[in-house]
Amino acid sequence: MAERTLAEQLGGYLPVGIEALEEHERQDLAGALRSARKRQAKALAEAGEEGLKYVPALLRGAVRKVVGL
Amino acid sequence: MNYESRAEVLKLARVLDVEPERLEYLARVDADDLKAFREQVTDSLFDAHVSVLQRMALAARLLPAPVLAKIAEKVFGPLLCARIAGLVDVGRGVDVAKRLKPQFLAEVAADLDPRRASAIISRIPLDTVVAVATELARREDWITLGRFVGHLPDDTVRRCLAVIDDPGLLRIAFVLDDKRRVDPVIGLLPEGRLGRIITAAGADEDLWAPALDLLSHLRETRRAAVIPLLDALPEGLRERAQATIK
Repeated sequence: MAERTLAEQLGGYLPVGIEALEEHERQDLAGALRSARKRQAKALAEAGEEGLKYVPALLRGAVRKVVGL
Repeated sequence: MNYESRAEVLKLARVLDVEPERLEYLARVDADDLKAFREQVTDSLFDAHVSVLQRMALAARLLPAPVLAKIAEKVFGPLLCARIAGLVDVGRGVDVAKRLKPQFLAEVAADLDPRRASAIISRIPLDTVVAVATELARREDWITLGRFVGHLPDDTVRRCLAVIDDPGLLRIAFVLDDKRRVDPVIGLLPEGRLGRIITAAGADEDLWAPALDLLSHLRETRRAAVIPLLDALPEGLRERAQATIK
C-alpha cells in the first residue's frame, strides 16, 4: 500500500507555503510526521500494559475494563 | 531568512523531534504558513490516538493521585503525560502535577500543547511553575519557556523572569508564540533589566538577531526609552538596532 502523502496525513489541506514546496521536500515532511506518529503509537502501546502493574490489585479489573485492555 | 520563519523552523523541528538543520528548506516559507502547518502537525499527533488516551484519562479517575503520579513518572513518561494532560479532569491533573518532580514536569512541558492544557497550567502552584522554569532555563529549552508565556498569569511570568538570565530572555522572546506578548512581558521587568538585556546582546553575535527581533516588537513609548541604551552596543549591531526602532 502506498504511503500517505503529507496532505493526506493532515486532513487534505496544506498551507499555501507548504503546498508550494518541492515534491521531495513535502515527502521529507511526510516521512518525519510518519516517524513521529509511530514513536507515539509505540510509547502508548507499551504504557498500557506496563501501567497496570502499578495499579492496586483491587482496582486492576475496573481499570482494565475502562481502558479496554 | 526572516526572524519569525527561523523561530518557526526551530519550533516545528521540536514537534517532529528532528534536527532543525533537516528542515532548512523551510526557511523560505512564510512564518504564518509555518505556524499554521506546525499547529496542523501538533493537532494530528495529539488526535492520532485520542480514543485510547481518553480511555486512559477515564481510568485515571479510578486511581488515587499518588498512584497516578507514580505511574506517570515510572511508566508513562513525559510524552504520554503531555498527551493525556489535556484530557484529564483539571483538579485531578493539578493534584498529580504537584506530586511530580520539576525535572519530570520540565520534560512534560516540552511535549505539552499549552492550548490544550491551559486550565491545568494556570492552576499549578507558583513555586512549582518557577521550579519548572528554572529547570527549563538550565536545559536552555527556550522554545518550551516561550510557549507557556501566553498561558500564565502576569505574577507568575514576573517570578519566572527573575530566574532566567539576560541572554536566556532574548532567546525566549525570539521564539515566543505570540509576539504581541513581547512588549507586555518587557513591561513586567524591573527597572534597568531591559538595558542589561540589550547590553548582553552586544557581547554575543548569536544574540543579535534575537535582540533586533525584540526591539522590533516594542511599542513606541518603550522605544523612546531604549534609544539612549543603543550607544553602548558594538558597531554593526548599533546601526541595525537604531534602524529597527527609529
